[in-house]
Amino acid sequence: MGIVTVLWEKWVEFRRDFYKITVAAMISPLMYLIIFGLGIQTTSHGEPYLHFLVPGIVSMATMTGSFSAIAQNMSVQRLYEKALDQVMVSPTPLWQFILGQIIGGSLRGLYAGGVILLLTIPIRTDLVFNGLSVFIMFLNGTVFSTIALVLSFLAKSYTDAPRYTAYIITPMSFLCNTFFSTDQMPAGFRQVISFLPLSQTSAMIRSIANGQPAGAFGFIILFAYLIVFGVISVVFIYKKKNL
Amino acid sequence: MIEIRDLTKRFGDFTAVDGLSLSIGTGEFFGLLGPNGAGKTTTISMISTVLLPTSGEILVDGQVLDRKASAQKRKLSVITQEYSMRQDMTMDEVMEYQGRLYYLPKSVIREKSTELLEFAGLAEFRKRTVRHLSGGMKRKLMICRALLIEPEILLLDEPTAGMDALSRRQMWNLLRQLNERKMTIILTTHYIDEAQALCDRVALINRGKLQKMDTPDALIKELGAFAVDETSENGLVSKYFKDRAEAIEYLSAAGPMASFRATTLEDVFVDCAGRKIT
Repeated sequence: MGIVTVLWEKWVEFRRDFYKITVAAMISPLMYLIIFGLGIQTTSHGEPYLHFLVPGIVSMATMTGSFSAIAQNMSVQRLYEKALDQVMVSPTPLWQFILGQIIGGSLRGLYAGGVILLLTIPIRTDLVFNGLSVFIMFLNGTVFSTIALVLSFLAKSYTDAPRYTAYIITPMSFLCNTFFSTDQMPAGFRQVISFLPLSQTSAMIRSIANGQPAGAFGFIILFAYLIVFGVISVVFIYKKKNL
Repeated sequence: MIEIRDLTKRFGDFTAVDGLSLSIGTGEFFGLLGPNGAGKTTTISMISTVLLPTSGEILVDGQVLDRKASAQKRKLSVITQEYSMRQDMTMDEVMEYQGRLYYLPKSVIREKSTELLEFAGLAEFRKRTVRHLSGGMKRKLMICRALLIEPEILLLDEPTAGMDALSRRQMWNLLRQLNERKMTIILTTHYIDEAQALCDRVALINRGKLQKMDTPDALIKELGAFAVDETSENGLVSKYFKDRAEAIEYLSAAGPMASFRATTLEDVFVDCAGRKIT
């Protein structure tokens, strides 16, 4: 029930800011597609570079869509609007509030990824996007929603949200198998990068797009992040003394 | 019934509430008074579980109140000092969100929201977003939101701050009506006349510690029901007397600038806070 309440609140926000959310979800990925995919025409592993780029951009869009939907919103609600107090004092179980935020954030990520997929239809890449791709996009969204929740509970000021994007999301966007293969990276660095959730999401969606199986390792990594950050966010909301 | 046992809240080295113990009966109108920084808002925030105590506990009807205690929290509603609402929601959405958080059926939310918003004179603005409301309208909306769920216990943190005199009086009447329906009300306020007019009992706290707790009349009697004000080099100084004749005798001996009056709760507050601060 509490989950539905949070999803209703997210829906109200989405309906109100539909155009802003949609345009914001499109601009950066569209620029990357135009500049790297259509402008600088090249190949990767013998294939048109767009075939490599599109799955990476879709993964990145789900990450940024989910993360920004939660990090900014929750920081403002907690520190500026104080609207989180309304939830804290209510009888709605707080774990349901957290779960609602995770699902709501992930749906926003899925929407952002979906918009990019729609934009790539005219390019005719012949890449495969199926139900499993959608599930991976959703799972990736849940991971970044939980990370965003934890960070927004740690934030000291609502202006911290853009800083988190600069510290976490921007480096991941560029390093995690989005624009180029990590195969050429130095071994140790490559190993570290491969344990980041976006690397695995990009790899899995790219494999499916090329008609290959996604592989179990990526799911293990994503679920591990989801469980760890999900547990931390639940512990924070129940136990953090000065929320 | 609310029981607060040895409640302490520290923020780093600063102790905001220090071993506070008190109990508030069902249907009681209870005032929490103190100077700025006394720990009133921190205490309300702990009762509403927004803050967790460093030590001590709060019981509602014998059950420990914490963030997991949904049954206890169902009885509570809070009107915070700050406007704690989503700024981009309309009034209707704010009310619906509150109703949903307390599991009210949609038909009840709609019916009660209309009733409350009309009562508060806000019905014509119900499609307006919170950020486009005046301070007074936001305050009224917070009251409507708190009352939507028909709480057993209402926590009010400076509810009339920023209100004009007429709105304040309307608010007092509303609170009296609610209290007559056996709603327990815990009020913090800077307006001592408000506490004197409304509260069955008041607790005076300073630097997080309970200084005095009793009915306003008893506290006034304890200080002395009669006051003589005189202007000295140190400004206005009041002397308090338990006996009227004694006060009049003092007044006769004092200069022409002295005046006689009944002691108020504000005198008790100033005496208590002033003594502790200096």
